[in-house]
Amino acid sequence: MTAEEVPRWFGLSIVLIYLVGLGSVAQFGIVQARREGASQFQRGSRYTVKVLGERLSALNGAGTADPAVAGAYQRALHEFAANVPVRWLRVVDDERRVLASTDPSQINTIVGDDIPRDSKQAIREVMSLPVPGQKAPDVLVRVRLTLEVPTPQESVDDQPPRGGAVLHLEARLPPEPFGVSGPADQARMLAIVLVVLGALFVVYRCLREQLRSMSRIADRLQSHRDRLQEDLGSLRIGDSLDGVTTAWNDLIDLTEGLSESVQHSEADEELSRVLQCSWGGALAEALSAVPDGLIYIADEIRFEYMNSAACRLFGWNVQDAKGMILPEARASGIGAKVLDVLRGALQTDGSFEVRTDVLEADDKTGCDHSTYRVRILPLQRDHHTGECVVVIRDVSQQVRAERSREEFITHVTHELRTPLTNIRAYAETLSSGMFEDPNVITECYNVITKETRRLSRLVEDVLSVSQLEVGTIDLQIADIDLKTLLSEGVRDVRGLADDKNIDVQLVLPSKVEPIAGDRDKLAVVINNLLGNAIKYTPPDGNVVVGCRFTGQDVAISIKDNGIGIDPADHGRVFEKFQRSSDPDVQNETGSGIGLYTAREIVRHHRGEIELISEKGQGSTFLVRLPRQETRAAALSTAKEA
Amino acid sequence: MPTILIAEDEAHILRVLAIWLNRHGYDVLEAPNGAAALELLDHKTVDMIISDMNMPVMDGLELVKTIREERGINVPFLLLTARCDHDQLAKRMEAYHIHLYPKPFVPSRLVADIDSLLSEAKAWG
Repeated sequence: MTAEEVPRWFGLSIVLIYLVGLGSVAQFGIVQARREGASQFQRGSRYTVKVLGERLSALNGAGTADPAVAGAYQRALHEFAANVPVRWLRVVDDERRVLASTDPSQINTIVGDDIPRDSKQAIREVMSLPVPGQKAPDVLVRVRLTLEVPTPQESVDDQPPRGGAVLHLEARLPPEPFGVSGPADQARMLAIVLVVLGALFVVYRCLREQLRSMSRIADRLQSHRDRLQEDLGSLRIGDSLDGVTTAWNDLIDLTEGLSESVQHSEADEELSRVLQCSWGGALAEALSAVPDGLIYIADEIRFEYMNSAACRLFGWNVQDAKGMILPEARASGIGAKVLDVLRGALQTDGSFEVRTDVLEADDKTGCDHSTYRVRILPLQRDHHTGECVVVIRDVSQQVRAERSREEFITHVTHELRTPLTNIRAYAETLSSGMFEDPNVITECYNVITKETRRLSRLVEDVLSVSQLEVGTIDLQIADIDLKTLLSEGVRDVRGLADDKNIDVQLVLPSKVEPIAGDRDKLAVVINNLLGNAIKYTPPDGNVVVGCRFTGQDVAISIKDNGIGIDPADHGRVFEKFQRSSDPDVQNETGSGIGLYTAREIVRHHRGEIELISEKGQGSTFLVRLPRQETRAAALSTAKEA
Repeated sequence: MPTILIAEDEAHILRVLAIWLNRHGYDVLEAPNGAAALELLDHKTVDMIISDMNMPVMDGLELVKTIREERGINVPFLLLTARCDHDQLAKRMEAYHIHLYPKPFVPSRLVADIDSLLSEAKAWG
């Protein structure tokens, strides 16, 4: 039965049952009261008549036939009737002759015996409810007085009289006004019943809706008994929102809220426990190995966790960091700037906004600045504000690479346009027919040839970089005559060397074994290294190219007596788009990809380039390549590489 | 005979410009960079300056600024550049009244433009 099906008769039946019960109790009370009243009246009447009988008996020795005694009886009866509400009193002898009576018409008459013999019958008569409209019957009471008139002697001996007359004192009493008999009583009773009925109806009206709501609640509880844990909201009652259902729904809401709070609380405790454990546990060690700085800021903008990298950046130690409040935090270096960013990201409501900032650290060495990217990632958890994770990443390399890329584009554009300009200008000089001087014509041819080769080399470098970038470089492994490779390399740069009067020597051992590799790619390596040697060697310098075979590899050396490279720049010069910070180098045009390309090609041959140089003391580049016995072995190696 | 100063670190370009300008009746002063050009201007008077943009020691931009701001030389200035950002560069250099000329160039057309610029300058006095 659903809540909506609670029948109206349910309440009415309760009221009816209550009324019947009430009526029964009232009836029982009335019967008891009447029974008690009748009994009391009977007893009272009997007592009254008995007292009278005793008084009559006290009329000493009077014979029944004695008119004087009869007269005494008559006076006594009248005297007594004056004080007792009786219709009549009479004294009857055994023969039912009335000796005396308050009703004169009865005297000396024979009367019937119509008085109930026992008291129970008398009570029943008394209790018989009066029929409306009819007069209640009188009550007949008889005290069977045996008025034996004693003889004087017997009377003296105080013995019961013998031979005296047996008289009966009889009385007719009016009905006593007890029980329910009058209309006023009935009206009063009816009014009471109506008032009780009205009160019950009001109570019923008040209770009906509540009973209905409670029935709905009970029904909902019963039907969702098995999934209370999972779906507490299903207990919510959507319609007829009276006081009880509203209170019930509020209770459900409160319970849900408490449940959610408990879950959050448990989650927080778990998080705190994990963090607490992780602070000095395996997770902390793992996070400390992360190169990025990681900070977890908990509620109330409190530093809850920092990994080692973050602590280093802030100049804090791990224990000091824990529990530090953002407004009170102080740091040095990049940490101070990160704190400024955090304070700037803090909203008025205590939460953080999502932010990504790029910060440059003040570098005391005056060299390149370190660049950091700071990301603030607020945590989206209910009931928690001011929680966020901060990631600090050193992006110096990326920034430098981006700048280098821009410089590369600038340089490559310049490098491409310069030989193109020469080729175009000298070609037009030839084709214009304005210049007939043979020296000019020869010069034009030479320049066009040289610049075409320069352009080709540059395009090769750019292509190599592109292939290395996307990993599609494909080595065409073959047996290479090293002597030829180096000779052609020297020949290609001869023009450049001659322009600066640089002596380029090729010094080779008597026996030069062939090596396995990609001829064109290795030619790019030799050309780039030789080109650099000539570019960074002052006029009238010298460059020596040689090779040497050892047990496992072959070392090709390119040695110059040029400006040299500061050891601090040895690693950098091989990086893509990077050039030495030496002003002498900066004054020379260059794309910044020559040495990078050379090293990558050599590495793809499973070799390495070694740089031996000091600033101002020339440079030696050693290209070490493994001695491949067979082309197949080299192919295998190249594929692995 | 008009004198033209050429500042260019690329020897071949310098050479071909000189060949063409000489052929068209100009005297040419050659400098491998901006600093060398300024030294020449210390004791030479020129009718026009042609300079490359990217040069070691002192590039074309610095040379222009020095010539216009410090030396007060207002002869036509033709800046050769291989850069792609011509519009931005022209805007930056607007105050210096220079002429940007892209590389690679055609020598005959360049000489014709030089003739025009010098005629124009001469007409304005």
